Amino acid sequence: MTRRDVNWLMARAAASAGAAAFFAQWLPARETHQHSNAPADPHHWDGYQPKFFTTEESQWLETFTAILIPTDETPGARDAHVVSFIDFVVNAAAEFAPDVQTQWREAMSWLRSVEFGKLSPQQQLALLTDAAAPEADHSLTHPGFSSYRLIKELTVRAFYTSRVGLVDVLEYQGIAYLTEFPACTHPEHQQV
Amino acid sequence: MAKFDAIIVGSGACGGWACMTLAQQGFKVALLEAGSLIDQARDFHHRWPYELDFRGAGQPGLLRKYFRNSTEYNYRIMIDDRDNPYTTPPDKPFNWLRSRVLGGRTLHWARCSDRMSDFEFKAASRDGYGEDWPISYQDIEPYYDRVERFIGVSAAKANLPQFPDGVFLPPMALNCAETIFNAACQKVGLPATPRRVAQLTRTLNNRPPCHYCGNCVNGCDVGAMFSTVSTTLPPALKTGNVTLLCDSVVSHVLLDAEHRARGVRYRERFTNKAVEVESPIVILAGSSLENTRLLLNSENGGLANSSGVLGHYLMDQLVGAGASGFLPQLKGSKIRNDDGKATGLYIPNFNNLRAKKNPTFIRGYAMSASGGATMFPAFAPALPGFGSSFKNQVKSLYPAQARVWMSGGEMLARKENFIELDPLVKDRWDIPVLKIHCAHSANDQALYLDFFNRAQELFHAAKGEATPAQPFLAPPGSLFHEVGTCRMGNNPKSSVLNSFCQTHDIRNLFVFGGGCFVTTGDKHPTLTMMALTARGCDHILDTARKKEL
Repeated sequence: MTRRDVNWLMARAAASAGAAAFFAQWLPARETHQHSNAPADPHHWDGYQPKFFTTEESQWLETFTAILIPTDETPGARDAHVVSFIDFVVNAAAEFAPDVQTQWREAMSWLRSVEFGKLSPQQQLALLTDAAAPEADHSLTHPGFSSYRLIKELTVRAFYTSRVGLVDVLEYQGIAYLTEFPACTHPEHQQV
Repeated sequence: MAKFDAIIVGSGACGGWACMTLAQQGFKVALLEAGSLIDQARDFHHRWPYELDFRGAGQPGLLRKYFRNSTEYNYRIMIDDRDNPYTTPPDKPFNWLRSRVLGGRTLHWARCSDRMSDFEFKAASRDGYGEDWPISYQDIEPYYDRVERFIGVSAAKANLPQFPDGVFLPPMALNCAETIFNAACQKVGLPATPRRVAQLTRTLNNRPPCHYCGNCVNGCDVGAMFSTVSTTLPPALKTGNVTLLCDSVVSHVLLDAEHRARGVRYRERFTNKAVEVESPIVILAGSSLENTRLLLNSENGGLANSSGVLGHYLMDQLVGAGASGFLPQLKGSKIRNDDGKATGLYIPNFNNLRAKKNPTFIRGYAMSASGGATMFPAFAPALPGFGSSFKNQVKSLYPAQARVWMSGGEMLARKENFIELDPLVKDRWDIPVLKIHCAHSANDQALYLDFFNRAQELFHAAKGEATPAQPFLAPPGSLFHEVGTCRMGNNPKSSVLNSFCQTHDIRNLFVFGGGCFVTTGDKHPTLTMMALTARGCDHILDTARKKEL
């Protein structure tokens, strides 16, 4: 039986007598049920070995991305295996988008040039703060800005598309099975 | 050689409807589709980004060969631009989104189903520009009814003469952002109503209602949204009268000695073998521009082109940058299911309806607004900063996202916008590709600019914080509402088709789809294309009964 058949049967059942009372049991259950309907993480990254980055570069990226999206009250980049995903994507760029690999090589050269691995946590934070400054103030420049942006863009993308980022942190409610679309029930939104 | 009562080229919204109608009346129909077979239950699924190898973006570089908006979720139902190229002059870009697959673009369309009004059909009489359609609202109204009743349109009555009401299923509820925009519309005096979508809110014709998963543009797995595959094809196949020929790339309409259509020639997609099929009625329904390409390729100077206007009067509705940003009222609010219905609030055209006209442009446009949490926080990569404060900011802004966009602005019909066969470039099946010449007029620019300013005003009225933006009118084709090039009219000297979408020159050759449009209007075009198809099919049945074809 396919999901389509199930939906069809449910639709038929919903049209039958007594259905309202039956389905009414489900609706509040959905509201109070705490678990997301999101499927479990497929755990692609258990035991993943970097293919594009060297071990040293992977360690730099682990540190860099953990500063970008730290583990605090909620999970961060490390918990979402962001660096493994980045390595997987950049490695797969060889076939159709070798320019992407060139950009990441340049980013690694920048980290090497500033001896990122030898910096103290305070120095690393200061470096990222300086490199990020042109984001908010377009009059500023920084030699590492394009590399910072490259790492940040893919880190943000990797994090918020992971189960950890999308479900645990953002608490996304979509991709659901609902009987009615939940209407806005806030009187304060009825006027501006 | 196989023989049928009717051949239909293309299985999109119009081809599917024609196939169902004729098959149910006992016609033996050959339905030719250039792309592959699709089974919605087998091929479409709910998928979370982390279940895909590349989280939706595809292997880097892979999707470049597909249309630019395709994703890892849906590229298989989009077109491969390398197999199916088209050309433009270097200074006139045109975006042409196509799907070669059973069901065509109905598999991933935005589902908006609006009725056009006499403000559009008779616009030329009102403002003196261009030509009227050969039909009025009264002529097409019963066919709108018939199509809506069968495909199911969820909508609210609006009581607006420029946006006629129809046969509706209950509307979907507004989410928080849409409710706020609705209040803002009331405040500034704009009409507003839920977007009218061919997406079921009740069971209809063996199709279950929408379950609000939000996956519409990746293909609906249960058929709650209208597509050929979910809605018109099953009853057509049930008759036993349909021969479905997928992977069949039609190259020519064939003619007999009396210059009547006798069938079509197609190439088998994978073997490139040429095959001919014959029938006394030939219907082209392979999209506005593909139909015209086929006519242009079938005879020197274009088949059914005694008027000389075949290929001309190409239009696409206007679209460009709108207003986007955040609604402070929703910052930091509890995350809700905001994108499950994937629709929004619709603001029908409000320009040039009364005696007092807008001084800067003729015709009108429609806007839409929506907002709230989405599957991916698209604003986040560009948000300055990092660290815990960045994370908190993303979470706070996530449910407050909001945007006002252009649903469609009327682009004027102009003869100098046209398509022709490229003399040099051919597709994978050795068929000459289209060279598309299309540019915006001064009226198009002025109309768009008015929208841009209104969108900022509306965003402001909703108390929204708009991200700074510059007006940008996107290249033609960007709204995927390309119509014209085969227009209808009463005069065979200035039009290709009559009001039944029958070619003036060849009585047994019909062209369904947007090609017949005389103007774009400001409504989403699919429902009108389908209603015109229903009307054309009635004409086919009438005349076939009287043996006049």
